[in-house]
Amino acid sequence: MPTNSKMILRVLVNGIAREDLIPVNMLLVNYLRDVVGVTGTKTGCDGGECGACTILVNGEPLLSCIELAARVAGKQLETIESLAHNGRMSTLQRSFHEQLGTQCGFCTPGMIMASEALLRQQSTPTDQQIKTALEGNLCRCTGYVKIIESVRTAIKLNGDV
Amino acid sequence: MEILPEFELHQPDSVATAVKLGAQTGAKYLAGGTDLMPNLRHGLGDPISLIDVSGIADMQAIENTAMGLRIGASVTLQQLVTNPLVLANYSLLIEAANTIAGTTHRHHATVGGNLCLDTRCQYYNQSEWWRKSNSYCLKYKGDSCHVAPNGNVCRAAFSGDLAPAMLVHGAQVEIWSAKGGQRIIDLDDMYQDDGANSLLLKPGELLVAVLVKPLPTFNTGYRKVRVRGGLDFPLAGVAVAVQGRGNKLEQVMIALTGTDSRPILLKGCDDLCGKPLDDAALKALERLVRTQTKPMRSTFIPNQYRSKVAVNISRRLLLDLLMR
Amino acid sequence: MQNKASVELHMVRPNQAAGARIPLVDGVEKVTGKAQYTADLEARGALVGAILRSPYAHAEIINIDVSKARALAGVKAVITGDDCGVAFGILPISELEFPLAKGKLRYRGDAVAAVAAVDEKTAQLALDLIELEVRELPAYFTIKEALADGAIAIHERREGNVERKVDDEFGDVETGFSAADLVMERSYHCAEVTHAHMEPHAALAEYDVERDLMTLQSVTQVPYYVHLMLSQCLDMDSSRIRVIKPFVGGGFGARTETLNLEVIACLLARVAGGVVRLKLSREETFLTHKGRPETDIIMKMGLTQSGKITAVQAQVAQRGGAYGGYGVITILYSGALLHAIYDIANIKFEGQRVLTNTPGCGAMRGHGTVNVRFAFESLLDTMACELGMDPIAVRRANLLSPEFETVNGLKGLSYGLPECLDWVEEASAWQQKRGAMPVGKGVGIGCSHFVSGAGKPVHWTGEPHATIILKLDFDGGITIFTGASDIGQGSSTILTQTVAQVLGVDYSRLRVIANDSAITPKDNGSYSSRVTVYVGNAALDAANNLKQILLQAAAVKLDCRADQVECLGEAYQVQGLPNTLISFADVVAQAIKGGGTINVKGTYFVPREHQGLGKQRGAAVGSTPGFSYGATVAEVSVDQDTGQISVDKIWVAHDCGFAINPMSVEGQVQGGVWMGLAQAISEQTRYTNGLHMDANFIDYRFPSIVESPDIEVKMIEPGDPNGPFGAKEASEGALSSILAAVASAVRDAIGIEMNATPMTADRILAKLIAREKQAKRQQPRKQEAR
Repeated sequence: MPTNSKMILRVLVNGIAREDLIPVNMLLVNYLRDVVGVTGTKTGCDGGECGACTILVNGEPLLSCIELAARVAGKQLETIESLAHNGRMSTLQRSFHEQLGTQCGFCTPGMIMASEALLRQQSTPTDQQIKTALEGNLCRCTGYVKIIESVRTAIKLNGDV
Repeated sequence: MEILPEFELHQPDSVATAVKLGAQTGAKYLAGGTDLMPNLRHGLGDPISLIDVSGIADMQAIENTAMGLRIGASVTLQQLVTNPLVLANYSLLIEAANTIAGTTHRHHATVGGNLCLDTRCQYYNQSEWWRKSNSYCLKYKGDSCHVAPNGNVCRAAFSGDLAPAMLVHGAQVEIWSAKGGQRIIDLDDMYQDDGANSLLLKPGELLVAVLVKPLPTFNTGYRKVRVRGGLDFPLAGVAVAVQGRGNKLEQVMIALTGTDSRPILLKGCDDLCGKPLDDAALKALERLVRTQTKPMRSTFIPNQYRSKVAVNISRRLLLDLLMR
Repeated sequence: MQNKASVELHMVRPNQAAGARIPLVDGVEKVTGKAQYTADLEARGALVGAILRSPYAHAEIINIDVSKARALAGVKAVITGDDCGVAFGILPISELEFPLAKGKLRYRGDAVAAVAAVDEKTAQLALDLIELEVRELPAYFTIKEALADGAIAIHERREGNVERKVDDEFGDVETGFSAADLVMERSYHCAEVTHAHMEPHAALAEYDVERDLMTLQSVTQVPYYVHLMLSQCLDMDSSRIRVIKPFVGGGFGARTETLNLEVIACLLARVAGGVVRLKLSREETFLTHKGRPETDIIMKMGLTQSGKITAVQAQVAQRGGAYGGYGVITILYSGALLHAIYDIANIKFEGQRVLTNTPGCGAMRGHGTVNVRFAFESLLDTMACELGMDPIAVRRANLLSPEFETVNGLKGLSYGLPECLDWVEEASAWQQKRGAMPVGKGVGIGCSHFVSGAGKPVHWTGEPHATIILKLDFDGGITIFTGASDIGQGSSTILTQTVAQVLGVDYSRLRVIANDSAITPKDNGSYSSRVTVYVGNAALDAANNLKQILLQAAAVKLDCRADQVECLGEAYQVQGLPNTLISFADVVAQAIKGGGTINVKGTYFVPREHQGLGKQRGAAVGSTPGFSYGATVAEVSVDQDTGQISVDKIWVAHDCGFAINPMSVEGQVQGGVWMGLAQAISEQTRYTNGLHMDANFIDYRFPSIVESPDIEVKMIEPGDPNGPFGAKEASEGALSSILAAVASAVRDAIGIEMNATPMTADRILAKLIAREKQAKRQQPRKQEAR
């Protein structure tokens, strides 16, 4: 039996400092969903194939289904639940909602978080850059057309501010 | 339902500590995790301890040295493609790195991880239930190969995209171990054509950095054949560096990936040089590629196809680069 | 409630809801992460369920020893086929499946046993401790193997491994062929594909031991059918069962029949006396399958010089997998929907649905029609080329005109295919491009159609085809109660718009409560694109009924006759007299006076003549209140070094009758055509000795965003008398057209005919090489001749 099979994880989840006793082999996505209880982050595959579990760690996109919770100690995690501000959807969320960038909604949290990572880095990306940023996020409903339109709309709205 | 095995996790902050931990039985190095973690989730491997090398400063740096550009093995692909030193002289590395997996993967996947990527096979990259139902395989837990049932060598394919680009850049690798300290070898010598043991690293050895030399007078490029525009591993990939005058080749380096259990730095390219790149030269190139690569049924996509496109994209890329 | 000022506001703006581009009514939850899918449901203390899957393709079970698993600490339930002796299946004539295998294992992945334990690790350990003893049987992975002489029956009641044979002829094809100027026959092959909805399968079952009540929440598209099958398999009175559908992450037909995991979760919960959560891995979700079968097609067609189709003959064989599922309907659809798109007098169909030792197939978007449509449209394209005709012209030579009745008795009241063709021709600049682009680039066309709901439901009970309940209470809010399953296609939104349109009220007054058998009315579920027309019409009926009550109440309040009342959205007045204006609140207060809370019902029956009650054989399948139509042009580039196709742009026109929500229609059409494109270029499920080779998203390659093209959509809106506001379905009709459109474009680009899907790079390159070799062989001969 491993000697250090459990650990105390100190981490910032959506702005709230947490301290949890977790097994070291716990996947980050399971920590978020089962321990913290934020279930917006989804798992659509058996590891690293679909992007539904994308969150931000220190502002960078990460597939939480192939990361150990233990390895994000001391970092800032942001999930889909963090984007709305005082109950108001973020521009990206609103654009995905209003432009039908979401149908069944299952890929949506990952799709939005990957887009969020892109827009923080590059406020006016080209279509090609949008596609590149989302190449690891699979969607089965939309054919991606309205997802691209949603991101474009968010870019435009951000520019109008 | 596949849960991770139980293991200890160590997060050393120096190479010295890392290799000491890595020398213990059942230890496995972990960097970005984008290759290792899916494999562990599929029951491929049962490490006693994971040595997380992503936090070691010496492995995260990119710097110019007397031996060329030294790229730490824990540098992420995203850091690689945005680094000014790399941007300045190594567009080939950037081109190759940008074809790897998806953007989110590249934020965490590392240079060392891609160079040490586990080989892939349709009979190996499956769940524990699947492999057990198929009596396992030569690469893991089994005693026969489903790709070449009479063979005694695993034919899983090396599928890293960075290796061919690095090989063309004459890469050397800095390897550390607890006992032997540091050794520097050609990247080409780190690989062997055995899918079950494609890395010539001794137990506990750690790839710490890669050294590459610039190719200022060369045109370089990377082509990759895959089914989808994103995400997919290469069915065949080729990196080419060419220096020429008119339609005459003066110097050329070609390396391939996805075709064999190791990346292939094509030998005999000198024979193509000093003469025009005409049909005869292209035929000669085809012969070089055909004789030195041997795709097997490690993917469901026919090996004949992979063999054919390896030739076609090498030819096309060489022509494009010479004309550029 | 309202104040006077808001009355003024609404007075001038009665809500024109039908036809509005509004976002999904449940979209906010989806983009904020609040939407709870089955795996997200709070269930503290739930046991973890897990299924042991067969490593054998075909085997007789000798013994399953679960004693060690049962003895493991933390294991609360272990069940096998012995724990449920009742078979189930979506079709009453084909109940071949047991929740857990009984007697035999029929495919690699078949469910053998299941456990419920305190955590995932214990559940996994328990599975490892189950000892399975079998006698292996010969297994059949192809149609040919399953049909071979001496093959043993995979199911006792299916001698020869044939699930269903169909042999229909309408008109006289021999006469038709003899009247043709050109007759051609071609073989086509389509690989198996699956839905690959993003949400893996999951179920949460809670058994109340004290009251003997079962509650299941799961990923279903058809809660009603799940309810029936639970009652049957659990041997519980249906009143003791409650089925709830939370948010569902896509379905595309996978969840239109009861899935074994739903029954297994309930069986485990009952044995354990508690709550069991069963989450399948992506691999297990692939193995559960129910997708589109591998299909072999021999298509024969006769054309006159002017392109008129004189006869069609199709022989279709489908590899159905280990269980019947929807298979009988699939093969019947394949034949029935050869009709009702073009005017064809003579059609012969020979179909065969075969059982094999592979995961069971079922219904998938474009049910039964996609592969046959690919073959049909491809052959039409080939023959048009042979005749030197424009592929669009050849289609124009065969159009129907509404109202039509086909030779197999299918009726249609609207037909927008001509306008679809006109638009794609124009928008794609077809006339400038076809045959005129540089080598390696081309355009191609395909057409298709689909039903807006099956005229006859799977279980015919004599009840209405759909029921909606509306509740209006003191608060002025209107609740729509529906059993229709919104699985992302937006059905709840369409119902909201329908009710809002009739009543003229603001959306904010409306809320939808859906899919809880304890609360909402029965609905047959979301399959065969039935919701817009069936449930939409029921919502229309319910809203009209509620409006009558409101008009009556307003009449009392306004002291006039009901037919004198004018509804101005959220205000009412005596017709033409603005000074009599009263608020919606006033009217509601009046309406509930005396009687209290208002509950009204609306129902829909498919008109008899669209129920497929005709004398023709097999007329029940394919009948529908309205056919949707689609035409698609694809522009492709083919890389001749690698054989890779890139689809650069798609133009698709879809006759949806009327777009209740144009944005949603666009989204459905884009998604549908894209799904067809995925099948056309890259998706396939392959087996090696019955082992699934592609049970993950690395190997099951549906396109990523990178190679997915822009898809420009045009809605054609002829209006169908049977649809709510004239609407027909919008999600499936255009899907089938893209496969042949891509093949047609590849032909245009490189002159190569593709008769198999997916049109992978290796297939294309092999054909290019073969052509090159043939050219070389012919060259030396020429030289010799000289």
